[in-house]
Amino acid sequence: MNGTSIWIMIIGVSLVSILPRVLPVALFSRYEFPEPLKRWLSYVAPSVLGGLTALSVLAPDGVIDISVYNRHIWAFVPTLLIAVKTRSLFYSLLAGIAAMALLYNFV
Amino acid sequence: MQKQELKRGINDSIPIVLGYLPLGFAFGLLANEVGMSVIQAMMMSVLCFTGAGQYIAIGIMQAGGAVFTIVLANVLVNLRYLLFSTSLVPYLKGKVPTAAGALLSYGLTDETYAVAMNRYQDHAPTASYMAGLNLSSHTGWIASTLLGAVLGSHIGNTDRLGLGFALPAMYICLLVLMIKRKSDVLVALSAALFCLLIGYLVPATMGNLFNIIIATVAGASLGVLIGERD
Repeated sequence: MNGTSIWIMIIGVSLVSILPRVLPVALFSRYEFPEPLKRWLSYVAPSVLGGLTALSVLAPDGVIDISVYNRHIWAFVPTLLIAVKTRSLFYSLLAGIAAMALLYNFV
Repeated sequence: MQKQELKRGINDSIPIVLGYLPLGFAFGLLANEVGMSVIQAMMMSVLCFTGAGQYIAIGIMQAGGAVFTIVLANVLVNLRYLLFSTSLVPYLKGKVPTAAGALLSYGLTDETYAVAMNRYQDHAPTASYMAGLNLSSHTGWIASTLLGAVLGSHIGNTDRLGLGFALPAMYICLLVLMIKRKSDVLVALSAALFCLLIGYLVPATMGNLFNIIIATVAGASLGVLIGERD
């Protein structure tokens, strides 16, 4: 791919990644959503996080890997415990990173 | 501009930036390897700010694919933001001016969305908070890309620092924090299961993240069906 094509690609990707984020807020803010839709939307975040957590732990390299060799599953356990116990993003992150570093270097 | 809110947003972005560090770095490095200049790699992170989408672009470039293919794949990958952005509307309404809200939604990613939604459960959104959170996360993404593109080849394996688990750890904690209702647990678990099942049955969705979209639509619909009325 030459320089010009790369720039065209960057601008194309930019448009299709910015529009879906900006347009709903720009267009829908003047409307009051009906109650059922609001309820539905209130479940979007728990769903997205459920999906992202599952993928990032059970398919860390883009392929589902449910085995004892998947370090992410082992690191998941202490991280979840700390998250439930402290409810702190900082300590959870610290626990997760430390667990992964230990697993990577010593297991 | 409320200084306190801006500061809060910047503070809340720290875990995100930590998670972006290895990802942005790797993107910069890979971009360089497939023939993008340092400026191009950096500008892609400035203009696109889509981790999955940028990685897909690299993959397709490596395979000799066309610009059109990359853009089309990014349409699919970024469709989930339609859902994220729409679900933010009821929170922002009346609190953040539409123009500012829309402009700052430029910085909406999986991570900034999850952190913001968590904050908005018990704090009213403000433009200052959004600016602090989104702009500093974006800056972190751009800076780590730049580092990767410039220094990438001189630094060895960063996996051993454990930073690869920064984003998963963040998702885990945000998920724990996000669970308020009994139905949230079931919804999150079902979405997780749907996501894996769809990814398993149709492996292509693992790459374009369509499994997340389908799982989210299914999860949210289930929530409405089983959810307690508040």
